[in-house]
Amino acid sequence: MSDLFAFNGAEGAGWSQPPPSLGVDESWSTVPESLRRASPPGWPRASEPELVRHYTWLSRRNFGIDTGFYPLGSCTMKHNPRLNERIVQLPGIDRIHPLQPEHQIQGLLAIFFEMQEMLAICSGMDEVTLQPVAGAQGEFTAMRCIQEYHRSIGQGHRDKVIVPDSAHGTNPASAAMCGYDIIEIPSAVDGRLDLAALEEAVGDDTAAMMITNPSTLGVFEPDISRAAEMVHTAGGQMYYDGANFNAILGKTDPGRMGFDAVHYNLHKTFSQPHGGGGPGSGPIGVKSHLATFLPSPIANRRERVEDDPKGVGDGYWYVWKEVGESSIGKVQQWHGNSGAVVRAWAFYRRYGRELERMSEHAVLNANYLRHRIMNPDSDTAARMHAMPLDGAPAEVVKHEFTLSLSALKDAVGITGRDVAKRLLDYGVMAPTLYFPMIVPECLMIEPTETESKEVMDRFAADFHTILGEDPEIVTTAPHSTEVRRVDEVWAARNLVLRHPGPE
Amino acid sequence: MLSEMGMSSIDELFSDIPADIRRDTPLPLRGPQSEEEIWADAQRLLGANVSLDDRPSFLAAGLARNFVPTMVGMLATRGEFLTSYTPYQPEVSQGMLQAMWEFQTMVSELVGLPVANVSMYDASTAAAEAITCAVRVHRRKSSQKNVVYVSMFVPPQRFEVIRNYTQGSGLEIRILEHLEDGHIDMNSAAEAAGCCAVYVEQPSAFGILDPGLMDLKEVIGEETALIVGVDAVSLGIVEPPGSWGADIVVGEGQPFGIGPTAGGPIYGIFACGEGYTRQMPGRIVGLTKDVDGKRAFTLTLSTREQHIRRHRATSNICSNETLIALMGAMHMALLGPRGIERLALRVASATEATKRAVASIDGIELVDPRACNFREFAVKLPGEASDALAYLDANGVLGGFDLGVWWEGMSTCLLIGADERTSESDIEALTAGLSSWLEGAGS
Repeated sequence: MSDLFAFNGAEGAGWSQPPPSLGVDESWSTVPESLRRASPPGWPRASEPELVRHYTWLSRRNFGIDTGFYPLGSCTMKHNPRLNERIVQLPGIDRIHPLQPEHQIQGLLAIFFEMQEMLAICSGMDEVTLQPVAGAQGEFTAMRCIQEYHRSIGQGHRDKVIVPDSAHGTNPASAAMCGYDIIEIPSAVDGRLDLAALEEAVGDDTAAMMITNPSTLGVFEPDISRAAEMVHTAGGQMYYDGANFNAILGKTDPGRMGFDAVHYNLHKTFSQPHGGGGPGSGPIGVKSHLATFLPSPIANRRERVEDDPKGVGDGYWYVWKEVGESSIGKVQQWHGNSGAVVRAWAFYRRYGRELERMSEHAVLNANYLRHRIMNPDSDTAARMHAMPLDGAPAEVVKHEFTLSLSALKDAVGITGRDVAKRLLDYGVMAPTLYFPMIVPECLMIEPTETESKEVMDRFAADFHTILGEDPEIVTTAPHSTEVRRVDEVWAARNLVLRHPGPE
Repeated sequence: MLSEMGMSSIDELFSDIPADIRRDTPLPLRGPQSEEEIWADAQRLLGANVSLDDRPSFLAAGLARNFVPTMVGMLATRGEFLTSYTPYQPEVSQGMLQAMWEFQTMVSELVGLPVANVSMYDASTAAAEAITCAVRVHRRKSSQKNVVYVSMFVPPQRFEVIRNYTQGSGLEIRILEHLEDGHIDMNSAAEAAGCCAVYVEQPSAFGILDPGLMDLKEVIGEETALIVGVDAVSLGIVEPPGSWGADIVVGEGQPFGIGPTAGGPIYGIFACGEGYTRQMPGRIVGLTKDVDGKRAFTLTLSTREQHIRRHRATSNICSNETLIALMGAMHMALLGPRGIERLALRVASATEATKRAVASIDGIELVDPRACNFREFAVKLPGEASDALAYLDANGVLGGFDLGVWWEGMSTCLLIGADERTSESDIEALTAGLSSWLEGAGS
């Protein structure tokens, strides 16, 4: 066990800095006497070799895509190309201040502009901002734009946002943060959007509907255009949660489906690494009637004229465009997660107009894995306590699918959580568990396009094995991980949220 | 794979998309590129940018031109950290969970409050969500319901974020006034007594360290949350707000761990007293044990979060800035208690040296001549700041920030930022540039 706060040796590696130019005493005197810090923070006093070992040790106790298969539904855990990491270490992004004058950041603006254009094209939207730094912040930003749009046309009374019960939790949370009331509508028995329930929910108070398509069940909503028509007829706006964009890129787009606003998760579809929970990047695209409400600034360009300095050599001069008076104002202090935008740009460049292939392979992989899991050979089937059930009855799924393990639970008492934990023993990450909530004992599986047939065959085989294992072994899993099943209740009851210190 | 599923073409997999909304033409985008072509384009495009390290730079305005120890980037980009998701499966995520628990501890020690979360997006959203958090805690007992006071000298972009995040909960934001000398107006503060929250910054947007803030909690009272935005590095030598009454401390974490990165990804620090824990936004790691009684870590208090609580969550935040917070943790751990003190002294020293040099130029005056400054200070010029900046720029110096962009009536004021890397020759380049601009302006 390595404990950061047990390092308490010498002055620490950080002591090796040049001294303050004015000398220590004079530097201290720049702080009003009453404000001077009495005692230093209780940070570790470690050397660089100690810390290199500590963080290497920690990294080895952490599972990433680089460690193994990561079929976490709704999270799109695809391979993160290493080139992208190399690019963001260039001083032309790492050592840039967002308030530098335009002529010093022509390359950054050019990349921003290219990404705005590309995202607008892929989604069928008119204008894109890259400022929101996460999917949830994109949702919030777009809902704020819709709110101000309604206020601007005398429709400020619209205070209800409709979300399906299968929606990501961020949808209702983001709308609620804008001040909206939430109407959650139940899904139809097949897990799809229920038009009758929608009909009942829409009205003169409808501000918007927030929905993802394909749904969180991995199924394309066939009635999406009809739903958009109903919401629009009632005077509401349609918001597309782009978490599942990996399924449809180049095949259809939210614009064609009738949406007015959309967010993209660059950390899902465009491979910004998830980094243990972030950073993300959640740009939004909107139709032109919402564009005047976007946060400022947006990258723009004009033909280069003679007086302009050199630029990036493509004949254009890039500038920041202020959105104007009706802008909702900023949602992040600067221009968003520029580093994530640059990584996503590098990812996009690899595919270019063939981004469609990415979605094809993601959907092929999901359908193949679902087929393998749901069609074991007769010997394998005979060894299993119970077959998993499809979360949604659909001929084909899109980029992900759901399974219900309720038959297994009824037969031998093994829950979805038990299977998820047992998968960890097989060296793979557990799928998303118990989401969407409308599927009992749900596992949500998304293989992404970057996994091979062999990886998925192996996963299906391991999955089948687990479904036939001694329930005692499965319900007490995992057995081979760094720690065994973790007591989350103890953590919540005792709330030890920091190290007590070295003493 | 297709034939195993009894299919003959990939199109069958998309047959569920109604024909009238299918895209039937290729995306009008450029062709695909190889790795080496993308690298060449990236070098060309990003090479056209001017790095802060290429020239003397005095542009800070809330971000730091820092030095990040080499170890940080090398270890944080280990694939096990870089390519992991939120640690929802603690049994295989102990590494990141422990690193974040250690991060929480170091932030807690730095600001002097017992609880810290795993990061917000940046200083602005940390400030905004601190306000909504405080309102949830104090709304019931406060005598000025739904009222919060925010310092008049919060950078306008940060203020816009605060407005966006608070407008939905029906809050009224009132302005906390400052005196002519830049310090907080205690009469204005007295009016804030009994409201839900007061948000101030130490140092202010002008880099002013105000000892008067230490009396603020007493003035506003127990039922009003004191929220303090900090320059995290300054706390190496400045008394942490937690020890003078702050209930929530927020700030930009960027100086620890990552370069300015064109404004992101960076991370916001968020720490609070125990009374606020259950209303906090964002993820929190707690200590626990596994079934064998072995020490373990897990995400905790998830019932505050959107994936459980949905529209009743304390925040919509899901993806945060964990990897950048990890980089921050590594940087803090490398600095240690003596290292952070020395780093802060270096910034203080560079600020003072730059201030003295610039203030000694005839025709340039300090906006707040008696103030103590950390990292930034404002000067008044005899002409437009934009004009001075353009002149300096033409002479290879990034001279600071035109305060007229932020505040009407300040177009002749320049915000100059120094940092641990500011050298004597940088200061000479700045003062020489300003002097010759003045000569030109006078002629």
